[in-house]
Amino acid sequence: MLGGVFHAAVLFLVAAGLQLVFGVQKILNLACGSFYALGAYAGVSAVSWALAAGAPPPIFPLVLVGAGLGLALVGPVIERLLRTIYDRDESFQLLLTFALVLMFEDVIRFVWGTAPHQLSSAYLVYGQLRVGGLVIPVYNLVVIAAGGAIAALMGFLLARTRFGRIVRATAENRGMAEAMGVDVSRVYVRVFTLGVALGTVGGALVIPATAAVNEMGIDLIVEAFAVVVIGGLGSMRGAVAGALIVGIMRAVAVATYPEVEMLAIYVVVIAVLVLRPAGLFAKAAA
Amino acid sequence: MSVLLDARGLTKRYGDFTALDGVSLTVSEGEFVSIIGPNGAGKTTLVNIVTGLAPPTAGQMSFRGLDIVGAGPVTLARRGLARSFQLVNVFPALTVAETLAVAVCARLGRGRRFWSSLGADRAVHAEVGEIAAVFGLADRLARLARTLPQGDKKLLDVASAFALGPELILLDEPTSGVSTADKHAIMDVMVGAARRLGVKAIVQVEHDMDIVFGYSDRIVALHQGRVLADTTPDGIRRDTEVVATVLGKPRS
Amino acid sequence: MSLRLAVAAALGALALFPLAGRDYYATLMLPFFGYGIALLGLNLLFGTTGLLSFGHALFVALGAYTAAFLTSKLGVLDLEVILMAAAVAGAVIALPTGLLCVRYVRIYFGMLTLAFGMLFYSFLLKFYAVTGGDEGMRVLRPRLLGLAWTSFSKVEFLTGPFYYYSLAVLVLGAVVMWRIVRSPFGLGLRAIRENAGKAEFTGVDVRRYRLSAFVVAAVFGAVGGALLPIPTGLADPLLAYWTHSGNLVFMLLLGGFGNFFGPVLGAFVFIVLQDQVMSITQYWRFVFGAILAVVVVFFPQGLTGLLDRRQRAGT
Repeated sequence: MLGGVFHAAVLFLVAAGLQLVFGVQKILNLACGSFYALGAYAGVSAVSWALAAGAPPPIFPLVLVGAGLGLALVGPVIERLLRTIYDRDESFQLLLTFALVLMFEDVIRFVWGTAPHQLSSAYLVYGQLRVGGLVIPVYNLVVIAAGGAIAALMGFLLARTRFGRIVRATAENRGMAEAMGVDVSRVYVRVFTLGVALGTVGGALVIPATAAVNEMGIDLIVEAFAVVVIGGLGSMRGAVAGALIVGIMRAVAVATYPEVEMLAIYVVVIAVLVLRPAGLFAKAAA
Repeated sequence: MSVLLDARGLTKRYGDFTALDGVSLTVSEGEFVSIIGPNGAGKTTLVNIVTGLAPPTAGQMSFRGLDIVGAGPVTLARRGLARSFQLVNVFPALTVAETLAVAVCARLGRGRRFWSSLGADRAVHAEVGEIAAVFGLADRLARLARTLPQGDKKLLDVASAFALGPELILLDEPTSGVSTADKHAIMDVMVGAARRLGVKAIVQVEHDMDIVFGYSDRIVALHQGRVLADTTPDGIRRDTEVVATVLGKPRS
Repeated sequence: MSLRLAVAAALGALALFPLAGRDYYATLMLPFFGYGIALLGLNLLFGTTGLLSFGHALFVALGAYTAAFLTSKLGVLDLEVILMAAAVAGAVIALPTGLLCVRYVRIYFGMLTLAFGMLFYSFLLKFYAVTGGDEGMRVLRPRLLGLAWTSFSKVEFLTGPFYYYSLAVLVLGAVVMWRIVRSPFGLGLRAIRENAGKAEFTGVDVRRYRLSAFVVAAVFGAVGGALLPIPTGLADPLLAYWTHSGNLVFMLLLGGFGNFFGPVLGAFVFIVLQDQVMSITQYWRFVFGAILAVVVVFFPQGLTGLLDRRQRAGT
């Protein structure tokens, strides 16, 4: 069950990135899974280097987060590319992000090859907790806590800070924001980079628990979509709720009927889209 | 004269806000009815409800005796009720001829045909030609709708509603965006088209009082979601309340 | 009419191809026929009606597995029967799926179709007792026009009778699609693409038209999909994966989705290009991603759009 929440925490990060970018720039980024994968691979490499360089094992989560954040520097570059089609039909935006998916797939293959990369040693560095018959790796709790912290941070950022207000204003009405002197392009770059960072950090943080494999990016996108659909496009709270639902559902399914694991999620997605197409916390109209 | 549209007690509430409160409207064959009222009076809401865009919170509507509450635009078109929109609404990449053909095909029931060539359908061609001629668009049949000047786009929009062959047509501000000099010309075209194409009644929402008084048999004045008056133009002129609330406001 | 000449020339070239060229190239062209048919369907949905599906691969896979199931599990080998069964399967699955999906547009439609596609992929993967799981299901050599062509070797069969059969199916499909697009129904679809709101008020039952387009597209997808696995003899679950749907849209965009011949041209160029690029580098996905990006940003009308522009500039 807690494994489900752990998965949810990671999913939340990726979904939050998706939501943020969709909410502000109205682009559904198919490549969010690719950033997740990039973060994962980079995380493995970074920690391996750090450990080989003699760094003490317990700081590895910081290395992971660092790798994730570092990788987010590709954000502005990608945003520059996407900028060319902001005003076009959504189909083109989807296709351009799909082009990115294809390219990143091979970038990862090129840099890291096709064999899975793992950080087997680091996972249990923090040991395990024994709680009433259940064995929980402490690392999972660390990530869940980190997820929660980031969620709270995002909430604070969007609701209380000036930057957050500017972001929300631009999301609601770009023309109005521009008229009030907001440098919309700069907002877009920052929001996009933030979205990328959430994805890469999410990928990096998951790495001790799973191996980095070539398909992880394109596999994740469907779950990320599920989260976004269930929670409602454009809503942060929706990302949290959706991630929890998907994460826990998956854990339950794996424990009871492994065959229906993903099927259950798709069925729920379809059900939500049919019954409450706007999701649970929707902001954007269908 | 038989009754076409019979709407009674139409009420529309959005949460706490009441847009329409017990509005009744009856339109018979041969009538030209204008709906007037200040902004926010509920004119557009009324039109939207009658033409199937939104369901009423309460009330009844029937067309030629058949209940039409909850009926969508396609069903209404089949029954004989069509409308045009205030803001110009075209199919950008379709030609004038194709735009009219969409409506004509719907009227002739061609929609189910997915095998026959539209190009060879003479009946459709003939009707498209006739409607275009009536609206003065005959020489522009091959032009793409998005390349038309604004006034022609408006005409095309109205023409495609007429092309559905309705018995009653609802025009939402048909002369909005048209220069004063052209307004009467457009109204004459539309009245002429109605006669030529067998449209039996016209209902319009209009702000320009010259047009309203110049063409209407009946005027319905709305204010804050209720009917203030529903009578002939002379009756309206004598109704001091209407004059004060609706006509008193200078037309911008 | 230069268009007719071009089409005739292309058909002639395709017909002569196996006789003139090497076997390798003739076999390379085989997926082109299947994809061409599938893309004709996708073009009806996207190019004509304006609905971008990221789940078209579902029907392609459905067709492929229908062929596999009929030949290897039920011993039905007549390709005519297989194609018809694929068409029926496509329609049967498309009706409920379409009913759900066409209630939404744009992004939600894309996401729903993606979800359904992945649902099918999951099903193909997990229920391996029926579908063979990730190993796929075998597709046996079918009978064409009642003949088994047993005297032909595999390559001879593929580059000979099967090649021409596939070409014929593609031409037949194109003729059918041409008539559909030129019909009043096709005009209604275009009206929906241009302005769905106004279409509703011009007598077009938008939801029913969209559903019909969805079903027709699915039928074409399934028929094309049934032809696809025959050269390799294997139907694979990856046929239903969402990136396969993405590739289908890629092909469509490459060829030009506004144009009737766009899909076929796109399929052709994609396959030839893929073969060429794969022989140069293993990182063909990167190259293709870059190509797609360039097309999206600079040539959204695709190759047919480019040709159109050149033709207009020349006259």
